[in-house]
Amino acid sequence: MNTPQLGFSFDLSRCSGCMACMSACFDQNDMPGNGSTFRHVSRIETGTYPSVSIRYVSLACMHCGDAPCVAVCPNRALSKRPDNGIVEVNKDLCIGCHACATACPFGAPQFPEGSFMRKCDFCVARVTQGLEPACARTCPTKALGFGPIEKLTEDKAKAASVKIVSSFNPNLAALGVGLTKP
Amino acid sequence: MDRATRKSLHQGDVTMHPEYEYRYDGHQGKVPGAQTGIEIRKTICSICNPLSHCGVDAYVKDGVVVKVEGSKENPHSGGTLCSKGNANRQYIYHKDRIRTPLVRKGDRESGHFIPISWNDALDLIAKRFLKIKEESGPESVVFYAGFPKWMRPFLKRLAHSFGSPNYCTESSTCFRASFMGAALNYGAMGPGDVARSKCLLVWSSNPFYSNTNLARGILDARERGLKIIDVGPLITPLTAHADIHLRIRPGTSGALALSIANVIIEEGLYDHDFVQNYTLGFEEYREYVAQFTPGVAEEITGVPAAKIIEAARLYATTKPACMMTSASPTTHHTNGLQNHRAIVALVGLTGNYDVAGGNLVVPPAYLYQQSPGLVTREPEFEQSRKWEQMAPRIGQAQHPAWCRLVPEAQAMQLPFDIQSGKPYPIRAMLGFGLNYRMWPGQDFMEASLKKLDFLVDVDIFMTDTAKLADVVLPACTSFERSELKFYPQQYVIWTKPVIRPLWESRSDAEIIFDLARRLVPDDGLMQKGYEACIDWMLEPTKLTLEELKKHPAGYTVTGAKAPPFQKYKKNGFATPSKKMEFTSTILAETGYDPLPIYKEPKLSPRSAPEVAKEFPLILTTGSRLPMFIHSRTFRLDWTRSLRPDPLLDMNPKDAHERGIAQEDWVRLSTPRNSIKVKANLTEIVPPGVVSMYHDYPEASVNLLVEPDYRDPISGFPGFKSLLCEVKKLMEGNV
Repeated sequence: MNTPQLGFSFDLSRCSGCMACMSACFDQNDMPGNGSTFRHVSRIETGTYPSVSIRYVSLACMHCGDAPCVAVCPNRALSKRPDNGIVEVNKDLCIGCHACATACPFGAPQFPEGSFMRKCDFCVARVTQGLEPACARTCPTKALGFGPIEKLTEDKAKAASVKIVSSFNPNLAALGVGLTKP
Repeated sequence: MDRATRKSLHQGDVTMHPEYEYRYDGHQGKVPGAQTGIEIRKTICSICNPLSHCGVDAYVKDGVVVKVEGSKENPHSGGTLCSKGNANRQYIYHKDRIRTPLVRKGDRESGHFIPISWNDALDLIAKRFLKIKEESGPESVVFYAGFPKWMRPFLKRLAHSFGSPNYCTESSTCFRASFMGAALNYGAMGPGDVARSKCLLVWSSNPFYSNTNLARGILDARERGLKIIDVGPLITPLTAHADIHLRIRPGTSGALALSIANVIIEEGLYDHDFVQNYTLGFEEYREYVAQFTPGVAEEITGVPAAKIIEAARLYATTKPACMMTSASPTTHHTNGLQNHRAIVALVGLTGNYDVAGGNLVVPPAYLYQQSPGLVTREPEFEQSRKWEQMAPRIGQAQHPAWCRLVPEAQAMQLPFDIQSGKPYPIRAMLGFGLNYRMWPGQDFMEASLKKLDFLVDVDIFMTDTAKLADVVLPACTSFERSELKFYPQQYVIWTKPVIRPLWESRSDAEIIFDLARRLVPDDGLMQKGYEACIDWMLEPTKLTLEELKKHPAGYTVTGAKAPPFQKYKKNGFATPSKKMEFTSTILAETGYDPLPIYKEPKLSPRSAPEVAKEFPLILTTGSRLPMFIHSRTFRLDWTRSLRPDPLLDMNPKDAHERGIAQEDWVRLSTPRNSIKVKANLTEIVPPGVVSMYHDYPEASVNLLVEPDYRDPISGFPGFKSLLCEVKKLMEGNV
């Protein structure tokens, strides 16, 4: 891949549902605080007492590789940036038809003012200046991350390898030894 | 973004004062630099407790904060902020901020105030306080500090120099009982040394919502293989990471701890050397815990006996192991202090006291926060007059053990003393961040405040309590003042205001020192001013403000040596017997049971079966939520919108039995009172238990608790275990 596709990484096991990512987004984007939000945190409960599991998931626009919103937009208001794959909305072209909202599996498109669509823009102005998206920067448990998808995938594979190796020999994990490149 | 869009985006936004509403330009993304004119200035967030206080990069444009972000220079918070910290702009620029000093016109119910100058306000306060001192003695004036805590050393010194023993704080319901429990057993005990530990016993604490920096450290340690035992009735974000979850019935911690001790002793897993050489009363303790077999404890706590045994073995045999408790979940019970003593006794029993990876003993550097090797003269500074030179404190007669260990009055006793006028009249009060909703039976406290001759409240916002005051003074936020802050990483910062104080607000310290000039002219040190007092306290650390001012982003002290381990081997323990006390000398002397005995909560299905017929559910209150810290962020849309309604967490089983569906309006009742809340069906709470966050202005759960539903030893309210019932509200009643 020549041009990197940027994406969020999310570690389900580290998310505590604290919603710091949401309030960081409110602050970054001067959101009205009336419930409209570009990022959502959900509580997922499985089982019943006494065998229960509770997890939290934080989701915003995934800036999909093959983005259904881009495909369905009748006025080509949505596009993927060629340099980093971020899905952008051109407010001058948006007609507020909600087709994107219907197509999006993640509920990303928002219509806070009832007219054109707004959603997570990956804090593109920050990211192009070498800063992190506000949500990833603030995450107190480091559940949220971001970066080129290729690198995120590689990091994830590395972390999984460490877990497998350490299940055979816990001392390796304790020493911080994992499968690193020779 | 065009202006019309912005305007429509902000429809319904009532939080921020329009004067300070930032004109956002989405294309520039608030990137700091010459192009945007945004500059980064360093400060700290002080919305929550002093153990967090994350470092903040304030993005400032034309003297206005336009964005906040965690400061990467701060090694404690590492560039992160929580959901409250990110809402700082709505906090700073809130429309409810008090703009000028105010003096009340008309009676206390009128809520009518008129502006007054600072000089006139301070002169008026001084005149009234000095007159009352002359008429009834200095003890008739109470000095109180709520949240935040940063002004405490100065306020306490002002009180004592004035001659009043009645300096009291929000700590009368928070942390001090856990402190007492540890102090009675050991003299002192610090937090768990998680980074070096192999096993962490978390006893009813949820750092994910109360201290995110600590939580991050636990996750990192877990990934290195740390074993975790989680104790508590609720499922928290920590529970998913625990090897064992001991899901107790609220209020039964003591029985569980005694049973864990029973297993450890029966199986010979305790530290024989420690017990033999460094403890008092082990034989009585052993005899007492003998009755708490895992089977008996299962009946009391609801935790299966096999799990108790498994947890006891894991904690006692994994070395080193540390324990993490919290500020109040274990002590907000009518037997809370003794329960807590039973819990922390396990640390010594297993030989994990003051060892690497166990529970360390490190004295706080300043304002409760440790910074190993650095200790200020804060205690000496605060106590400018000896207790013997003042009248007895509020709570002296009722809570003698408190008064032996805690250098403050017990504020939970305050409304009773105002009402009775015994042992002497309480006539005036100077409160910083005072909130009557903190007291059990808050209406009793509210009525008591109304009985005072003269009430002064210093606050950032015009709160319901401020509305009762005779004089209201506007304080500023941490962004508008300078303060000293230590962190556990031997990092220290003297903050510089990142914006000027808004309207006519002033820093709490400035207010206290202005009052000191009028009230305590003989206190030479206070007359030298705020910064001179900071330098005086800093003296033993060799740090100076002059030096700290050169480091606006903070400073990591090099060469400070952390105290050694197992100091008791040389110095003994700071207890009357110089030993770790399974049987407390102080409790025996003050008329309580010296053993960490277990008693049921006064209102539990086992202790009050008659009450439980009508009120069969257990009510636990005040468990932390991530977006709130007590009452401090309810008024911010950014935090409030994350949980807008007063939700009662309720197990789906209990809800279905009562015909209650998600978000139905329900009535939550105790024998004392009832409030209208919405049901939130969740497995976070087990069947039989409902959990309600405290302090919702429109549904304050402390109305449901009797003012005297308290632990007799510590004076702490039994907020976390009582009896209640929940009924669905029919259409007409909503």
